[in-house]
Amino acid sequence: MRTWLSVTGLGCLVLMVVLYKGFGKDPHEVPFLLQGKPAPAFQVTDLMTGAPFTSEQLRGQPYVLNFWASWCEPCESEHPTIEWGARAFGDRVHFFGVLYGDTAENAKKNLAQRSVSFPQLMDPHSRMALDFATTGVPETYFVDASGVIVHKYVGPLDRRTLAYLVQQIAPSTAEARP
Amino acid sequence: MIALALATALLLGDYAPQPMASDTLSPEQEARVQHIGAQIRCPICQGLSIAASGSAPARVELERVREMVREGKTDQEIKDFFVARYGDWVLLSPRAEGANWIVWLGPALLLLIGGITIARTLRGPKAATAAAAPATAAPADDEFLRRVREEVDG
Repeated sequence: MRTWLSVTGLGCLVLMVVLYKGFGKDPHEVPFLLQGKPAPAFQVTDLMTGAPFTSEQLRGQPYVLNFWASWCEPCESEHPTIEWGARAFGDRVHFFGVLYGDTAENAKKNLAQRSVSFPQLMDPHSRMALDFATTGVPETYFVDASGVIVHKYVGPLDRRTLAYLVQQIAPSTAEARP
Repeated sequence: MIALALATALLLGDYAPQPMASDTLSPEQEARVQHIGAQIRCPICQGLSIAASGSAPARVELERVREMVREGKTDQEIKDFFVARYGDWVLLSPRAEGANWIVWLGPALLLLIGGITIARTLRGPKAATAAAAPATAAPADDEFLRRVREEVDG
């Protein structure tokens, strides 16, 4: 009898541990293991000029990568926010748009309809996107001057959040107002 | 109306394109791609693998698997690439290690415990009867019983 009580107690304990680990977590949230780690190196091309662009060119500078696509509706609604961020913080933080699962032709057609003040990068085969562990678009990465990914934001950004996250990678931009 | 809208969208090219088409692999290599893809979870789907999903992220990831197969990477190296970025979550079948053993052995253990419990319950009354039987058989030298028998027998 005592053995069975012990076995049942152990079973309950294991069950509690499993439930404890599971409760409070969003089952749809995809883990992101690159936060706080060095951003992966990349080699892409400028969408407009076709000139090669590498992560080496950003060494020692904070930057924001916004992955988007011309077929993505939320990206469309987010664009004015990113554009605002590029204008407000562009003197201290580099902003880049990175095409995800898209063609240069479609992207150019889309960009022709709006004003864009920051460079757009073409990522063939979405290699860079997967190196950064994207799960879709829009997703925005904030990389500090030491090359570490400070934050990844999933979904369309709002100005307040963008300003806050830029602040995390370039603290001297405190005076910028959303 | 819907058909017209869809036809217009297709004509304008306003849809998710497939820019990642690459050189085809041999049938054996493609089979490997599908086999590995069936073990990797699609990030935006409900319990679907990247091989089973037609979503843009799944296509991007499957294309990366294809690329790595072409480069000669092993199945484990390819899975490790995804695990390094998305954790064990990305594997549809968790690895048999550490706390994951609970997931692998838990159901079997529960079945075993359940089976033993049922077996003990079914065997219980007989065991109880068997255990009780000696108690009902009174010892021959029981003084009370001897006197009762004397009374009954006269």
